[in-house]
Amino acid sequence: MPLPAPAPFPVPRGVAAALAAAGPLAIGGILAARLGDPGPVLGAPAIVFGVVAATSPALYIASAATGHAPPLPAVVRAFGVALGAFGLALAGLLLPAAFLAMSSQSRAATLASTSAAIAAAGLFGLRRLARELADHAPPAEASGAGGVGVLASRVVFAVWAVATVLIAGRLWLQLAAEVLA
Amino acid sequence: MTGRAMPGPAMPGPAMPGPAVPGPAIIELVLRDRREVLARIARGADLPHILRTMIATIAITMAIVGAALGSYRGGAQIAYAAIKLPIVLVGTAALSAPALWATGAALGRRARLTADLALVTTALAFGALLLAACTPLILLGRAIDLPYHDMILLVVGMFAVAGIAALHVVVRGAALGQASATSATFAASGWRTAVASLCVVFSLVGGQLAWALRPYLVRPRTAEPPFVRELDGSLYDAIAGTVQSAQGIYTRDGAPL
Repeated sequence: MPLPAPAPFPVPRGVAAALAAAGPLAIGGILAARLGDPGPVLGAPAIVFGVVAATSPALYIASAATGHAPPLPAVVRAFGVALGAFGLALAGLLLPAAFLAMSSQSRAATLASTSAAIAAAGLFGLRRLARELADHAPPAEASGAGGVGVLASRVVFAVWAVATVLIAGRLWLQLAAEVLA
Repeated sequence: MTGRAMPGPAMPGPAMPGPAVPGPAIIELVLRDRREVLARIARGADLPHILRTMIATIAITMAIVGAALGSYRGGAQIAYAAIKLPIVLVGTAALSAPALWATGAALGRRARLTADLALVTTALAFGALLLAACTPLILLGRAIDLPYHDMILLVVGMFAVAGIAALHVVVRGAALGQASATSATFAASGWRTAVASLCVVFSLVGGQLAWALRPYLVRPRTAEPPFVRELDGSLYDAIAGTVQSAQGIYTRDGAPL
């Protein structure tokens, strides 16, 4: 039996998108306030949206090449939903991250709590993206790609996700190192 | 863990909230029939009333536990600990419950903030009731002049048991909510991840908030117990410092009383 479609967001999509934009700003703001450097305020959202913008076309192209990919509008919509999920998750993690950062005198604790919050939200967003893409992919028989195509598209997504996480993580650590220095 | 839904009472869906139950009767249900309380939360029945009752339960029971802990030193420490322990538990719930809602919503789980708050506070209230049931052990430790470190171990053990019991209630409640969502028009997924996230956030925030508001249990020879110790780093800094101390690397002249 196929899995049921994911429930819609409990908030309007516009609000979720606004949270996706505001969440990294707030995380950057926490870092900036605790470490006394304004760089992360714009650096955090730049990393999130820059990495997504730079790597998302590659996912579509590679998935389409496997013959088992949703149409372009569905992929765009899936990215929108995933960013909304990222924003929602980050909104829920902001309060604990801010508390942990503000109640500690250690710069490392501030960095660890903010990094963990944004990383967890990113992973939730990736999971939602995988689910959205799987839900909107054509059936293997209809696409003519067969089981090999389905497997290939999953491998493509996994490789893309790992690469995206590593790029974003590398940039985040670089930003943190500059701030800590 | 499998994807099987927890067995439980029939889920009539969110449109049938059921009759309100008085506060004391809800506490009785938490002790005797938690499945019924969790089913009511899953149905969305009388959530504000459940929430208020659970917060009051946490406040009262943790004040009792705090007073018992404070009695080890006696005097002002009884009042200090009775005030601080309820703040720790309610504050942790307030800081952590939105994470359950938000991560669940992000992953497609049917998420209702009030229901999630009610679930978290119900679990904490159950844990707090178990702790209150353990207060005779604390008083016994005081009565027989149990050494300070043995007392600490006793308290840690009690809190560990209560924490595991509360966690079990959260997992059961979330599973029941998942079953309810699947039978309704909403589909749901990701509740396990959301609950796991809640547990991580709850442990980190609860640990740090408890650390920030310490001490609760102080040595009887302490002359003037402080309401809270000066903020000198986080719990995690302290753990790192303890690891260093265990290796013979000391960064201060003596431990605070």
